Amino acid sequence: MTKFLLISGDKEKEKVVKDVFSSDEVLVSVEETVIFDSLEVEEPDIVILDGDTDSLDFKSLCRKIKQYPVITLLILGEKKYNKDVTHNINLFIKAPIDKKLLSATIDSALRTKQSLLKMTKTNQELARSLYQLNVMYNTSSQLAGSLDKDRLLQIMNEGIEKSLNFELSCTLTFRSEREPVLIIKSLYKISDRLLEALKLRAILSYKSLLADPPYEIKIGNLKIEKDIKHNIKEFDFSVLRFDNMFAPIVHNDEFYGFTEIYREKPFSTEDATVFQTLVQQVTIPLQSAAFTQELKATNRKLQKLERLKSEFISIVSHELRTPLTAIKNAMDIILSGKAGDMSENIEKFVSMGKRNAVRLSGIINDLLDISKIEAGKMDFKFEITKIEPVIEYVKNNLTVMAKEKGLNIKYTPMENSIEIYADSNRLEQVLTNLVSNAIKFTPSGDIEISTKVVNARELHYDQCFEGDIKKLQGNYLQVCVEDKGIGIERKDLNHVFDKFAQIENSLSRKVGGSGLGLPIARQLMESHNGAIWCDSEINKGSKFYFVLPIANDKNNFNTITKQLIQKAKANLSTVAIIKIKSTNKVMDNLIHEENLLNKTYMENSLVEKEGKITTLSMAVFGGDAPSAEFLKKKISTITEQKKNVYGECDIMFSYDIEGEGHEKDSYS
Amino acid sequence: MKKILIVDDEQDIVESLKFVLEVSGYTCYTAFNGEDGLRLAKEIMPDLIILDVMMPKINGYKISRLLKYDNKYKDIPIIMVTARSQLEDKMIGEETGVNEYITKPFELDQIVAKAEKYLKDTD
Repeated sequence: MTKFLLISGDKEKEKVVKDVFSSDEVLVSVEETVIFDSLEVEEPDIVILDGDTDSLDFKSLCRKIKQYPVITLLILGEKKYNKDVTHNINLFIKAPIDKKLLSATIDSALRTKQSLLKMTKTNQELARSLYQLNVMYNTSSQLAGSLDKDRLLQIMNEGIEKSLNFELSCTLTFRSEREPVLIIKSLYKISDRLLEALKLRAILSYKSLLADPPYEIKIGNLKIEKDIKHNIKEFDFSVLRFDNMFAPIVHNDEFYGFTEIYREKPFSTEDATVFQTLVQQVTIPLQSAAFTQELKATNRKLQKLERLKSEFISIVSHELRTPLTAIKNAMDIILSGKAGDMSENIEKFVSMGKRNAVRLSGIINDLLDISKIEAGKMDFKFEITKIEPVIEYVKNNLTVMAKEKGLNIKYTPMENSIEIYADSNRLEQVLTNLVSNAIKFTPSGDIEISTKVVNARELHYDQCFEGDIKKLQGNYLQVCVEDKGIGIERKDLNHVFDKFAQIENSLSRKVGGSGLGLPIARQLMESHNGAIWCDSEINKGSKFYFVLPIANDKNNFNTITKQLIQKAKANLSTVAIIKIKSTNKVMDNLIHEENLLNKTYMENSLVEKEGKITTLSMAVFGGDAPSAEFLKKKISTITEQKKNVYGECDIMFSYDIEGEGHEKDSYS
Repeated sequence: MKKILIVDDEQDIVESLKFVLEVSGYTCYTAFNGEDGLRLAKEIMPDLIILDVMMPKINGYKISRLLKYDNKYKDIPIIMVTARSQLEDKMIGEETGVNEYITKPFELDQIVAKAEKYLKDTD
């Protein structure tokens, strides 16, 4: 039924209208107050204005009518209407009224209104869905950013609240295995008996949800966390009569809890979908959070084990060394002849004992070294030094051993000596290992030591060494030890530097050794920011190479920086020189994992390691140079995140724009 | 004849050291723990002390400190022998006034050479 409001004093017109719409309701009036009251109370669908009604101010009347969702029809009379009036009218019809035309006009207008209403409703629904989608998207991206269980559930609840406007929600979860928590979010306060009821309901749901509940929940051990929005009112049992939805938080048979929401306004099917989706979304991050927790615990355990291992090795080596020293001493005394004369046979066998005691002692030293390096406890004394004295020293030391086999050690120093940044004692260790290996595995021929300056990009090496070598940048001093020995098969090349990996079909078993010499050399080179690798041809000989950073490269860095500053100034952009010192591996992490600095920056950077302190110096330029604030924040975040992995660390941070000492800062 | 005091809880090591040093013409006194070592040092006023670090009762660093901070004994040279080789240990050794620091395993000849060096200095 359609409601009409006819504003007319003309009985004739009233009769026509009532005639045409006989099955509808037609109100008639010319009194302004009555008209306004009917508009307010009766909510007519259509207002018919008689243009010939003189008693009314059409202009103000039209303006008033416009405020209501009605269709207005004007019966055109003799009068002239100004625009203010006609603008507010939807339909026009001429007097005298043609009944058919009136009926058809109203009919069509009503249909239009209906479709309009429908569209408005659809639009509202669409807007609502869009909003929900937006909430879901935001929730999902927020969920992805957190690995904290409580925070994840909080994000989920916030998402549900935003998209569904519930009055009350209950979420059951576990802090630890023994600590069930019921998180209650409510619009108003909760009465005591409602709280008890909610608790009971949660426990019952828990029991019915799981056939075999892993932990028992009782009223007594269920912790409550309340989040009340307004304290002005209190909810009682009436809430339980609200429409409600329930969803378990389960992923791959792993139960994390459940959530239940109550809303006075009934939920639609779309609401149910949104709710289930939001709850479903939280399960995967929850699983990741659980994994992370587990990983952290395992990591701590591993670290402890690692520490115990190196402690064990150092204690054992100490215990082994002491008696070994006594054995060696005793045999030394005999061999020196100071204890009396001995027969040729005695000398032969005591010598044999001595030789093996020395070998054993070497193996123990290697073990101790590798465990120290792996535990990060190896002490280095890095300084600007030269390679020549090291080579001469090793050559002199091993000449006797070589001569015994009829071999020569050849070495011609470079014309221009180069300064390197290294620990000479460790270099001696590496070189001694390489040269003595060469002697061991060479039946006849010479051993040659050579040095030259190389650029990281021009190195030749087997594919299997790429991992170690591709990290290198810039110029290095290369040392090569070449022999004419038995060689190594191609397939064995990459195992040469593995721990305890002696290559079976070679002489290695016969010549002995701890199997740790080359792995140690590799670790030592890594600590030097250098690399070691080899190249070999079976029965022709082997070449072992290692490269060391050139000390001048530091100057190179300064040169690069100066050039950059000039370049930047020309382009009106800024250059920042950043030095970050840290006491542990955080720095390596920064460089390799976190993408803190993109390649452009890294190409202009220099990493120095001095004892336990790593310094990263770099020059960054251009508009996208990270700000000091950003870097500091990033570094402290990473340090915090990796605390469990790398331990506590002190960081010194200095950020210097255009080399003018802008900001210095340190924190731990 | 020059007197050398050897303090080490490893009896076999003490024995072998004593043998080679006596063959080289020195008089040797031995102690197998820190307490005896300290007492003997004060009693016999040796020309050189060869001292182990890890010993029961009083460790080598403590003995060294007690002697080096006492005007009466501070001139006695001390050679510290230890299985430890970490830098910080060396630093402690230097702080306590040790003259020489030798890490195990050592060569007997090495010890004899060092002993000769310090005993020549005192001539």
